[in-house]
Amino acid sequence: MSHSTHPAKEPKGHEAGPIASSTLPIHLRAATLDDVPALVPLVLRLKSLNEEFDPLLKVRKDAEKMAAEVLTRDIKDPEAIVLATEGVGADKDRIVGVVRARIRERPFYAPEREGVILDIYLLPLYRRHGVGEYLLEEVTKAVKAKGAGVLTAEFPIQNHIAASFYNKRGFRPTMGLYSRPL
Amino acid sequence: MVQATTPTAESPPRPRAETVPPPEDEEARTGALGERALALARFYQGKIETVPKVPVRSLTDFSLWYTPGIAHVSRAIEKDPDLSFELTGRWNAIAIVTDGSRVLGLGDVGPAAAMPVMEGKALLFRYLGGVNAIPVPIAIDTEDEFIETVVRLSPAFGGINLEDIASPKCFRILGELQRRLPIPVWHDDQLGTAAATIAGLLNALTLTGRDIRTTRTVLLGAGAANIATARLLIALGQDAHLLTIVDQKGILFAERDDVDSLSLRNTWKYHLALTTDGGGRRGTLAQALRGADVVLAASRPDPTTISPAAVRSMAPKPIVFALANPVPEIWPDQARAAGAAIVATGRSDFPNQVNNSLVFPGVFRGVLDARARSIPDEIVIAAARELATHAQDRGLTPEHILPTMEEVGIFPHIAAATAETAVRLGIARTRRTREEFYAHALEVIQHSVHLATRLLEDGLTLPMPDEPPGGTRGTR
Repeated sequence: MSHSTHPAKEPKGHEAGPIASSTLPIHLRAATLDDVPALVPLVLRLKSLNEEFDPLLKVRKDAEKMAAEVLTRDIKDPEAIVLATEGVGADKDRIVGVVRARIRERPFYAPEREGVILDIYLLPLYRRHGVGEYLLEEVTKAVKAKGAGVLTAEFPIQNHIAASFYNKRGFRPTMGLYSRPL
Repeated sequence: MVQATTPTAESPPRPRAETVPPPEDEEARTGALGERALALARFYQGKIETVPKVPVRSLTDFSLWYTPGIAHVSRAIEKDPDLSFELTGRWNAIAIVTDGSRVLGLGDVGPAAAMPVMEGKALLFRYLGGVNAIPVPIAIDTEDEFIETVVRLSPAFGGINLEDIASPKCFRILGELQRRLPIPVWHDDQLGTAAATIAGLLNALTLTGRDIRTTRTVLLGAGAANIATARLLIALGQDAHLLTIVDQKGILFAERDDVDSLSLRNTWKYHLALTTDGGGRRGTLAQALRGADVVLAASRPDPTTISPAAVRSMAPKPIVFALANPVPEIWPDQARAAGAAIVATGRSDFPNQVNNSLVFPGVFRGVLDARARSIPDEIVIAAARELATHAQDRGLTPEHILPTMEEVGIFPHIAAATAETAVRLGIARTRRTREEFYAHALEVIQHSVHLATRLLEDGLTLPMPDEPPGGTRGTR
């Protein structure tokens, strides 16, 4: 994955926030091991949100350590992708977004290889500027390069904003994950 | 609440209680009023009724008021639905709709228990604004059911007043209904309170020599009223970077832990978290107030919420609106002793009462008279400005930044300002000059007051059974 800069969509007038001056020259790159400490809080924010949807998504006490472990593993793993988004202005050297995806084999279905988005998170001030869409485009390219013929996304079923994000971009629900505590 | 005077008669502002009433007296007084209200409710069995406004001399008149003659009127409206505003009472009828989910300070009491409150509101609409307001509490489970129900009721009405609906669902309900209905939809807890707050604030800024564009403002509480107030402030030129919203969790900023949750559960508050980003501040109310010019508090009834020390930490000549009811966030004398230049509360026994009742009767009179198709923020701001102007006309002082409820003469003025704005925005179904709107509003309101007075004088409205004949009727 090469470095790239994306002139994200011009924000709408009524949504103009503190950083919405013109376009967002967002810088997206493959994460390195040095990025892990900065990525962990973003992943934890996402997991804390998920916790609100269902008691079975309660965040573990050691989640911070686990996030670091998982990110470290996936940054090294050729069957995974971790992209980091750098901010603009005062946030220039700060990581403000992350997307993590893994390649899964599909033994019974074609296409055989699936890219699955496991974490995608952007700090609030960077939303509504088309940055999420850019993250999705880049992760799509990356999993395709690894031979994936289908892209999926996992998120809590009650997260209607996520559902709407993917619905608008050509995704449809295909599999369900039903849970009960034991 | 309001003296039975004609709307043009205005009494001077009355002397104010400067001392804080002991809480036990307040409770005793509220308890006594409650007992009496219950006894009177049992006696009157409802506060409003429908009365014919056409002559009915015998049953033959019904061939005009009803079938067969009335079929012609129906056909005319079928051809042009907007004629329903000319040929029926729709032009002056609104529904007061609630699900009973946040009634007064009582909480979720349900639609039936909300009815006495809605009847009271209908009475205020009628008496102060000459509006025929029909209480419609509805039994509803979801927001979508609520919205659908109101949409289906709307052909009977020239406007919809949403009442006592819990936050945050009130935002989506108001937004959706405003989008879908061709008539004004208003939520008093948001817009009425926000308009009265803005009116007072504009005068307070003038008195203390401030420009809203450079004012550092703190909103304490992020409920229905303050969310609307924040939006109107920004529309008026408030710099969002100088606006700090504080709730139970402290200063609201874009990266606060609960902001992701807000994006799903309270889009409006989420949006303000992003646009204000804490006004550049982080931390608690104390941090927010340091150096601030204005605090608009609509939070919880606890007089220790804002400390005198926090007021002292504000900019010189700070403006303090402590609007929680029945007990403000800081007692006015304490706020003044701590340096507050101007203090407003939600109570009538202190100077500068911020009261939504100053707003809604005139606003509805105006949008109904203009046959308006909607009620955008420009109208809310026009009403606020008119209210502010009216206080200016009588002389602004730190103790007089808003008209009082005794000044019933303001309502036709607010109506005219509102209606004129609707015409200017191109959302009115009728065109009249401001003077014509004023004259019409005055006539309708005076008719309403006259009718109420005559019915009482003639004994058709029964006197209150717990008062001696010719007793204290019409006074406080």
